Amino acid sequence: MGTINSAFSIMSGALDADQEALNVVANNVANANTPGYTNETPDWQQNQPLDVGGISVGQGVTETGSTSQRDRVLEAQLDQQQQLASASGSRLTSLNTLQALFTPDTGSSTSTAGDIGSDITKFFDSFSTLEAEPTNNADRQGVLSAAGTLAGDISNAAASLNSQRAALNQEAAGVTSQVNSLTSAIAQVNQQIMTTSPDADAGTLEDQRQEDISQLSQLIGINQITTENNGLAITTTSGQLLLSEGTSNQLTTGSVNGVTDFFLGGKDITSQLASGGGSLGGYLTARDQDIPSALNSLNQLAYSISTSVNTQNNAGTDLNGVTGTAANPLHIFNQPGEVAGSAVNMSVVMADPSQIAAAGARDGSGDNSNAVAMAALANQSIVNGQTPSDYYSNFVSTLGSTVSTVQTENTAQNAAVTQLQTQNNALSGVNLNDEASSMTTLERSYQAASQVFSMLNNIMNSALNLGEQTTVS
Amino acid sequence: MRVDPFYVTNLVGSLDQAQASEQQLTSELSSGVSVTSLSQNPVASGENVLLLNQIQQDDSFTQSSSQVTGQLQVADSALSSVVTELNTAISLATGANNGTMNSSDVKSVSNQISGILDEVQSLANTDYQGQYIFAGGQTSTAPFTTLPSESQAITIYNGDSGVNYLESPNGQKIQLNVPGNQIFMGSGSNSVFGALNSLVADYASGTVNTTQAVSDTNALSTALNYVSQQRVTLDNSITQITAASDAVTNVQTQLTTAQTDLMQADIPTVSTQLSLAETQQTALEDVIAQLNSTSNSLFSKIQA
Repeated sequence: MGTINSAFSIMSGALDADQEALNVVANNVANANTPGYTNETPDWQQNQPLDVGGISVGQGVTETGSTSQRDRVLEAQLDQQQQLASASGSRLTSLNTLQALFTPDTGSSTSTAGDIGSDITKFFDSFSTLEAEPTNNADRQGVLSAAGTLAGDISNAAASLNSQRAALNQEAAGVTSQVNSLTSAIAQVNQQIMTTSPDADAGTLEDQRQEDISQLSQLIGINQITTENNGLAITTTSGQLLLSEGTSNQLTTGSVNGVTDFFLGGKDITSQLASGGGSLGGYLTARDQDIPSALNSLNQLAYSISTSVNTQNNAGTDLNGVTGTAANPLHIFNQPGEVAGSAVNMSVVMADPSQIAAAGARDGSGDNSNAVAMAALANQSIVNGQTPSDYYSNFVSTLGSTVSTVQTENTAQNAAVTQLQTQNNALSGVNLNDEASSMTTLERSYQAASQVFSMLNNIMNSALNLGEQTTVS
Repeated sequence: MRVDPFYVTNLVGSLDQAQASEQQLTSELSSGVSVTSLSQNPVASGENVLLLNQIQQDDSFTQSSSQVTGQLQVADSALSSVVTELNTAISLATGANNGTMNSSDVKSVSNQISGILDEVQSLANTDYQGQYIFAGGQTSTAPFTTLPSESQAITIYNGDSGVNYLESPNGQKIQLNVPGNQIFMGSGSNSVFGALNSLVADYASGTVNTTQAVSDTNALSTALNYVSQQRVTLDNSITQITAASDAVTNVQTQLTTAQTDLMQADIPTVSTQLSLAETQQTALEDVIAQLNSTSNSLFSKIQA
């Protein structure tokens, strides 16, 4: 049978429990904007009832702590999507810088500067002009100046691509130290979690670990594997072990063929990281795939134009009656030895406009047959089976499509991240309205418990005074 | 069901997007260009390169054709003068051949024809901007020189048989010159200078060998006809160039329209889009302001 004393004890337990729960609410409200904080709910437990004379008597309540509102699967999904989004995001940034070098020419006279497509046309057109008056010095000068503009724009674009690549290389290398400090931090927290909370949610420790993992997955692509005692192992997307429980493996860098490669345990994993995700994946894809491909196209263009034009000029007779020979060639452009590096090294080596061979071999200086032949190169398939303009046109539309595809991908991935984020926030975020309502409920319950406590006090008075109203109050 | 307590963050994201799209649309309006980066319209960007290439080729051909038309007209008018000179020579020779002239008149005819010969030679050595137009490819030296000789003078050709062509953007080849040897030194009785030199020699002594002189006069007539035929080639070229240039200008106009359609912003559409984006931005801002107001929080309703 219950006694007044036991009622007192139930009520003081309830007051304690309410205070504990209010603590949890206060902590939630305080951390409402803390990154990575997971909303906590108070845990209530009914005390073991006493069996008195066959009657079960309730013994009140205890607040046993709090539980973080967490969905590990959702969090892992979010991390996964975050990797993809940040990979395409950093690739997109690089591609946008890249495509800015090839802004479409609007066709108005003020906007044509720096457009390689127009440069190509103007260069070959300068030979068409020379057709009309093959001995005209101004027209000859026009050919050299158009050649200079073309060579200058191509080699500037190639130089910019090279420096973009170097900048990306540095950014990629810079990610390494961030990854390493995050993996060490996760390993440490892992150890703590495994020691303090091997079979339950570790609360704020877990929040901390999750926040670190979330940051890590923005940097590189990872897989998470839960191990014994609430521990965690993390590998790269392609399976190389970054950390296992309390120990982490450091990512190291080394220079290979002029760029930074990434090593884990002595093994070069650069290409796996490139396709793995995270901003490092994006940087590496841009560095090792997008920029080299653009550079290759420019090299091919520069190589083909330079060699074809040089060969054709060499086949004719210049204004002084000289025909080019192997020993003393009449070259307009710097003759490239191989395709690689052709773009950045493209330049005009001819200084004297009279050396332009407008006349055919052994023809008089008034002949224009070689100028016709050089102008006709514009419509011949001299670059990888395409005319120079077709080739450049294909290059810009391919580049544009790549950027556009990555843009679409990135938009979709960001939308997915937002959606997952919303789901995760709905579960784990601190909702102040909920907290306000919990607080009111707890306040009421605390007030009720105090009321009951003071009633019990009155009852106890009555009991102590045995009917006398005034002795004890 | 629980909701995302940070919905304002998402709304701000939408607000950023609305502003980015306004920025893009405003730049389209101010520049008048709809494709400002390759990724905005990759196909149009590629097509644009080809269209501009053709437009510029056409433009360049139009300029070249006006240049060469000048040269062709100079050549044509030189040949027209040659024809006049040769007609004079023929009528002089015909007069001398009918046997009514005395010796000094015949000698005078010889001198006059010799003068015509010089005139024709100077016409055949016509230059255009310093380049001899009847010299084939050897345009830097005068193509015709006359060397004195015992029986009769000989005019020789220093040029070559080079013919220049101007190629139009669609590959049509238009002849730009007729080499001097073809016009003035045609083989046998087609040679203008041969016939003129013979006639000068025929009448130089004052006595006329009528048979020889008539035969040489006939040769000059044949040569004259031949010159006229060659002149037709040049006239044809002028016609062809004018026609080609007109055609190319037409094409250029069409291509420019196509290029403009492809790359230029459609102002009414862009303005409408901009207005929509602005409305969206205002709406979003209102929603955020409403939701963010402190009176919406339950905490503000709790009485202390």
